[in-house]
Formats: sequence, structure tokens, C-alpha cells
Amino acid sequence: MSRDFLAVELAPADGFEPRWRSPLERALRDAPPGIRDLSRTGKLHVHGDVGAPPGVEVVRVAPDRALVLCAAADVERVRGELGERVVDMSAALAGLEVRGERLMRRLADLDLDALPAAGAVAHVPATVLRDGDAFRIFFPQEYADHVGAVVLDAAAGLA
Amino acid sequence: MRLPPSPEERIDRSRTVTFFFEGEPIEAYAGDTIGSALFAAGRRVFSRSFKYHRPRGLLCCSGHCPNCLMQVDGAPSVRVCTAPVREGTRVRSQNVLGSLDRDLLAVVDKVGGPFTPVGFYYRTMIRPRRAWPYYERFLRRVAGLGTIDKHARRSSRFDTEHRRAEVLVIGGGPSGLDAARAAARDGRRVVLVDEGLALDAQLPREDGFETIAPARAIGIYEGGLVPVDAGDVLLRFRAERVVVASGAIEQPLLFPGNDLVGVLLPSAVRRLTRLWSLRPGERAVVITADDRGLAAAEDLRRAGTSVARVVDLRTTQPAQMAARGSHGRVRSVSVDGDSVDCDVLVMSGGSQPAYSLLAQAGARVEYDGTRGIFVPRDLPPHVEAVGSAAGEGARGAAAVPAASYRGTESGGRCFVCICEDVTDKDVKRAIAEGFDSIELAKRYTTVTMGPCQGRLCHLPSIRLYARETRAEEATIGTTTARPPWAPVRLGLLAGRGHEPAKRTSLHHRHKELGAQMMWTGEWRRPHSYGDVAAEVRAVHEGVGVIDVSTLGKLLVSGPDAVSFLERLYPNRFGDLKPGRIRYAVLGTDAGRIMDDGTIGRLSERDFYVTTTSTGAETVLAWFEWWNAVWGYDVSVDNVTGALAALNVAGPRSRALLARLTELDVSPDGFGYLDAREARVAGVPCLLLRIGFVGELGYELHFPSPYAEYLWDTLLERGADAGIRPFGLEPQRILRLEKAHVIVGQDTDSESNALDANMSWLVKFDKDDFVGKWALEHVRERGPRERLVGFEMANGTVPPEGGQIVVDGLPAGRVTSARWSDAVGKAIGLAWVPPALADEDSRIEIRVDGRLEPALVRLRPFFDPDDERLRA
Ligand code: FES
Repeated sequence: MSRDFLAVELAPADGFEPRWRSPLERALRDAPPGIRDLSRTGKLHVHGDVGAPPGVEVVRVAPDRALVLCAAADVERVRGELGERVVDMSAALAGLEVRGERLMRRLADLDLDALPAAGAVAHVPATVLRDGDAFRIFFPQEYADHVGAVVLDAAAGLA
Repeated sequence: MRLPPSPEERIDRSRTVTFFFEGEPIEAYAGDTIGSALFAAGRRVFSRSFKYHRPRGLLCCSGHCPNCLMQVDGAPSVRVCTAPVREGTRVRSQNVLGSLDRDLLAVVDKVGGPFTPVGFYYRTMIRPRRAWPYYERFLRRVAGLGTIDKHARRSSRFDTEHRRAEVLVIGGGPSGLDAARAAARDGRRVVLVDEGLALDAQLPREDGFETIAPARAIGIYEGGLVPVDAGDVLLRFRAERVVVASGAIEQPLLFPGNDLVGVLLPSAVRRLTRLWSLRPGERAVVITADDRGLAAAEDLRRAGTSVARVVDLRTTQPAQMAARGSHGRVRSVSVDGDSVDCDVLVMSGGSQPAYSLLAQAGARVEYDGTRGIFVPRDLPPHVEAVGSAAGEGARGAAAVPAASYRGTESGGRCFVCICEDVTDKDVKRAIAEGFDSIELAKRYTTVTMGPCQGRLCHLPSIRLYARETRAEEATIGTTTARPPWAPVRLGLLAGRGHEPAKRTSLHHRHKELGAQMMWTGEWRRPHSYGDVAAEVRAVHEGVGVIDVSTLGKLLVSGPDAVSFLERLYPNRFGDLKPGRIRYAVLGTDAGRIMDDGTIGRLSERDFYVTTTSTGAETVLAWFEWWNAVWGYDVSVDNVTGALAALNVAGPRSRALLARLTELDVSPDGFGYLDAREARVAGVPCLLLRIGFVGELGYELHFPSPYAEYLWDTLLERGADAGIRPFGLEPQRILRLEKAHVIVGQDTDSESNALDANMSWLVKFDKDDFVGKWALEHVRERGPRERLVGFEMANGTVPPEGGQIVVDGLPAGRVTSARWSDAVGKAIGLAWVPPALADEDSRIEIRVDGRLEPALVRLRPFFDPDDERLRA
């Protein structure tokens, strides 16, 4: 068996047109500018050492495990390049981007100068990356409504 | 009445602010605090004391004492001496019946003495027990610290912010500022927090470090965690180094009448006169053990108060001191029989380092006999003390003569602790009753347990203790310092009211369909969609669909996957063929049932493991732990959220599925306990043919972003077959009809697989597995109780947890019970003594106090031969 049932990017087949839906779609409906849904990012769990193929980001989340981020369209290719011990977690993790250190400090007890790192965001386990003033947060999608609500509420508190 | 303007004053006389006290408008200047404005308006009584309801007035003006607590805009126990005035604020007194000036409860002070001795609440009013609720309500009414308005809307929002600093400086006095500057010069990331009560000087905003004020550190916890109360935001600081510059606290003196209105600490004089240009009174007496009292005398003179007498305890040792008053206000002071009229009495018993935060952090606190104060010693490595907090310059009342402690003999009460209304007599009485350890005496007398948290009573009480027990202060020691060091609003600690909940990708569909949601662990799940019986019927007669995305889902792969699973589970997997599924129960090393689920073999070295909804994290951690211990070449991935899962069940489920997939779903092509990969409605799925609900059924596991799409498609394409979504409650009935066990409901942390009738899952001939030794032991000793089915003779549904009764004695318990339309009976599962675990055994179950007869059943109640399930 192939584990195809973990693949997220589907082409229409057999006359069906499966519709992808983000776990954060509803929660971020009224999001202010600066908060973006990144759930469709490609996300792969890799066991052991990881060489980084071009166009991907590698975040080490445990001594023996890494989270590899890539464009959704590249998941298949990257999965092939990374070898055997790879699991497609694109559907498992929701992702969002927020702007501003102050907002981030209200969401997580993390050293924002030492990112990327794994830790709790809005009390749920997450991986956080930083690009200047922007923070990308990836977390289990089943918390999407909760995290979305907390982020919007925290942003409202600072508005 | 204000003094002429001075350059030092903090009020802006060009701007007025109006607020309300007991409904009456009070005019203040910008820069006033509520306390200073009320004082300016002529108010002298600010509160009534905790127990005796004695009038109390401003004492410290520094936020240390309990004397100015009021309700401000509904918030109880606000220290008005430091609360800035705001337009329209509503201020009320608390803990009074009547008014501050005429508090009817003051009668306690007149008659209460003999009736309310120290510790009276441990002794009186406890009998008869029945009456306690009334006593409690009465006590709460007459004693306490304001009332919480339970119906009030949240007046403000409270947020939590996580902060980091290399160096956190607590306190913005001269030493704190120096420490912050020095650390900043060394290139450290420095943050300084200050209570903002050091109103004497505006804190300079400096380059090189960040200043946060008003902000109050409320404790120092392990790992350098320092929560800081910054008003509506709780700052949770993590700092590599904490510098405590919390200063020193002025100490009162002990003499009869030391709590009268008009008795002030030097800081009150300084602030009233300098910051708010107020004259504290007309005629003052100063009794002091240090220079602060002398400075206060100067301040008073400048404010136009005549200073009638200054008693410097360092040079004179009076044998007797007492203050007398009328209506709670000081009128005269007598020193060695020499009485002087006054309306202000300044007392200064020296100053004590504010060491509480240091003690919380782990510092030892030691009595310095020469200076008469407690000083912090042996600070933990990441904590530092500077300035008077470290004991620099502080000086206690070592010189205070014995006479000043000679209390009540000269009439009037002498208060050791004004928060809790504890007098010198009370302390002596506690000692006489045998409370000779300071920790016990603290609990008995409640000294140091009030709003001042020992700031004004810790040192005096220990000194009195030492005197009375003829011991050295050093040997008496101190009581444990615990956070919070300052009162903190519960709302601030609670923060925002978000509770993490897990929701499946179909959550909103369930809500749209009118599902009643319920908690199962962290998950929100549909209890039902409104008609439990119809949902059950749909599964028996047509087709139903239930969202089972909450199932834990783990991928176990690698060359050692078989060995790994065989060693974890009592069951065997080496002989499981790819494309087949097996039920599995996971046990602890003590042989107890931990979780259950199914294990499907995807390929030689890939297994798909499902767990209970609430067990996923525990099972994952358990797997990872053993994997690390054994060192197998196996990887475990939690794909719970990656996959949504639907159970499509019922006699028509096959026909429905056939419309949506090219997979051969015929009974021969896709049999019971087979696993297949195929597209369903264009979505790649892992299909498991299993049947928790007892009818022909398929679990579809597929990428969660397509959950709504597939759900909608199933409901649409199944409409003509009468498809119905069903919730947890119908599922529970359906599985009970099959006597399928729910781990955690029908088993508990003591249950093992043998007693739970699952011995067919336990392969004792395997080399080893977790819990094998324990289960062998269980097998040898035989079962202690057995999990069996039962049906009620008369249709009553017994309560879950209900008692099984044998010969009048409790002998077991019901774990599940429901009415089943399909069976036409009330059925259930129960633990019973082994002797009764036979088909048709008669048992009795307690229902509402009656005993109801039931029969033991060992086979499923519905479709006992699994013909429908395997169809
Ligand atoms: S007078 Fe306000 S706290 Fe002491």
C-alpha cells in the first residue's frame, strides 16, 4: 500500500471534484490584515537526518525528527527526494501567520529571538518560525477554531 | 484645603476631575489619588477594621497597609491612597453596616472583646453543625474585605503577555536604577519594573533599558518566572537574572491606641504634604526610632502643623506610651504620664527590608540583632538584592524600649496586626495556649495573613513573640513567604476565557445539522442530532454515518514494526496479512487495560493503529517511550489530525459505497476485517471494514481537508437510501447491543484483559510483551470479577455505576446500561463476582433504593452470531 490516503493535493478524478477546505477558513473569516492562513503549506515529517532539497525549509522539532515546509505543489517531489522515512503531514497541521512581536508575546511563552522553535501557542503544541516581524505558526488542525479565536481576540486586545 | 502651590507638588491645579464617593460628587485635581482627594475633602476615616470595625484612616499612603481599602467601580479592596483619580469613578466604602463614620457593627469593638478572642472562629460557632451555614453567612457579612458583584459585566479585559529579559530589575528606586544602568552598560537586555508608587520622583525613561510602570512583581517562581501585574496585563517574565530592589518598609510602633485615625507613618506625612500639598493636621507629636520621624517633623512644620513634641527613642527610653482618642481619632498622647494634645501622631519604628520576593526565590532570612531587622542571606544564583532590600541603610527599632511594648495595661487596644485586628493580648494568649512555634502561631492568630502580607506586622509580631517567650528573635525565625506578594485581581490571573478544544473537520457541519455537542476529553462531539431512536434505526435498517475523526491514528513503520507491536500488545501481529485488521487491547506493565483499537497491516512493514479518542496522546507517548527503550528500527507518526474518519454503517452501506468507488466492495472482494486503499468520490481513502456498531460497515479514513466534501457527498448520494448522521448516544446503544466494550467506560484503571473476557487477545505463548508477567499472575490466581452482559427482567434502566447486590451486599457494578428498541429490553454491562458470570445467572441491581432482578448474558444481545456484521 502507498499511503496515498495522506495526500492532500488532488486532481479531479472519476467525475468527482473533491473540494479542499482550510481548517482555519471559518475562524479567520473576520481576521484583520496581517493575519494570514498558511494551512495549505506543504508539511512533511522526516525521521533521522535531513538534507534540504532546494526550495524547502527544514525545522528540527526533535533530535531525531524534522518538519520540512514547502509549497503545496512541491509536496510530491520533495517527498520523493527526502527518501523513505517521510510522512506527509500537510493535512495534520494548520498554519497561520501573524505580525508583531507584541501579539506573539500574548500567544506564546517562547524566546522570540531564538526561533524557529517548538512550544505552546494559545496553549496548544506548535512550531513557530520568524521572518522579521512576521511569525508563522503551525499546529494540530483540530485546534484551528480555538487558535483562530485566541489569535483574533489577542489582536483585538492590541488594536 | 490645600497648602499654597509648591514646585514639588504632583497635582495640576488647572485641571479638575470629579468622581463619586458614596454617591456624592468629589472634586479633585489631576494628579490626585482617590485617597488624597478624599483627605482634601475632609475625610479622615477611610475604612472599618476587619474584626472590631474600628475606624481606620490613612496610615502609610504607600499602598502597604489595609487602612484605605475601598470598592472602586465595583472592584473590592482597592487601595485608594495609590489609585489615581479618574473622571466619573464610583467609590464606596466596604465592610461597614451604615456608613464609615457610623458603622453599626462597631458594637463588636465595644462588647466583642471577651466574645471574639484570638482563634474564636476555631472554637465558637461550630455547634450545632447544622447552623454553620447561618453562622458563615453572618460572619461573612460582618467581617471581610468587600463584596464581589457577581452580576457585574467584565469591566475590563485582562491579557497575559510572555516576556523575556536577561536582567529583570524589580523596583525603580536609586539602587534599582543603578543596577539597571550598570547591566545595560554591560550590553544586557534589561527591563525595570516599578510599582509606580514611588510618586516622589517621576521615573526617568532612559535609553539602554526598558521601564514598565506602574507594574508590580507579585512573586518569584522557579526558573526565574516573575509574574508582573501591569494593570490589565499580566506580564509573565522569564529572566536569566532577577535584581530585587524592592526597598524597605516603614515599621509601626506598638503602644495602646496605635491604630487610631491620625496615627501616621512618616511616608504618609511626606506624601500628603509634598505631593498633594495637604496639611495632615493642626498639632502633632512624633515618636521615632530613626531619622525618618525627624524628617516627618520637618515636613509637618513646613505644612503649618505645629509639632508639640518629638520623642526620639534613640535618646529617651520612656517607660510608658499610649495614645488616646475619641470617636476613633487620636486626641492626645501620653509619654511617661505626660499627656500632650494632638490630632496627628507620627510613629516610626525604623524600616525593614522588603525581602519577601527574595525569600520566595529561596533566600534565607536572618535576624540582624544589632540593627533589629530581618535581612536576606544566601540568595540563589540567579537572584540579586540591592539597596535597602538587601539591608543597606535599613535600621529597625532595636532601640525601642521595652515600655513601648507594654500594651494594654495602660488601657486601649495595642495592635500587632491591623489587617486582622490582632492585639498584643491576642498574641500573648496564643503563646499561653501553647502555640510556641511561629508558623503555628501565625495560623492561629492569622498575624501576617491579611492584605499587608506581613509588611507592617511581621517584624513587630516576632519581636513581641521573642519578648514574651524570652527567646532571641533569631531563634524564632520567620514564617514562609509565599506568592502573591501583593494582592492581585483574579481576573488578571485567569486571563482570557479561552479553553482549548479539539474539533473535527466536520464540527461546523454537525452544528448546522443541529447536533447537540458534548465533551469527550478535549474533543467536542455530537451527542445526537435530535432523535436518538431514529438514528439507531437508520443504522439497523438503512444506512447511518458517524464522524469518528477523533479516533487516534498512528502509523507504525520500519523493519522492526512487527516485533515492536508484538512486544507492546498481548496480541500477535506477525501472522496478520497485509490488507487485514485485528482488534487490539493495549496493556500496562501491570497488565491493566490502557487503551484499545484496531491494527491494520498496510504492508510488510507498515501498520495503521487506531486508538480511543481520548487515548491518542497517551498511546503515542507510550509507543515512543518503549521504542526508545528497546531501540527498534521503527518510526511512529501521529496522523490523527491529518485524517478525518467516517463510519458508514448499516445494511445499505455497501450499495452506497459502490456508487462512489471503483473498489470491489462485494462480500468476497472486501470482507469483514479487510483494509483497502481506494478513492471514494475522488478522495483517496483507507477503508477499514470493521463494525463497532454491529452492522455491516466501513470506516473511511482520508485527508481531513476533504471532510466536508466527502460528508456532503455521502449525504447527497445516500439520501434515497435514507442515510442519517448519528451521534455518540446512538452509537453507544448500538455497540451495547453487541456487548462491545468501551475502554474507560466499562473498564477502569484496575481492569485487565482476562477479567474483561478478552483472553482470546492474550497470547501467553509469545516470548514477551508488556504486562505478560502480571497477566500470568492473574491467570494463576483466577478472576476476581468478570465483565458480563445483563438484561433487566422488567425493563427498568439501571443507573451507570449502579450496585449489583448479592445477599444484601454490594458485589459489583453496572458500567453501561440503555434501553434497546432492537432487543426490546433494558440491557447493560456489569462487573459481577465470577460465580455469577454464567448465562442466565440471576443478579439484582439497586435502582432508586429498590432491588431490580436481571439475568446475566454472555453473548451479544443483538445478532449474536455476527451474521449482519459479516454480511
Ligand atoms: S494608607 Fe493606603 S495602603 Fe496604607
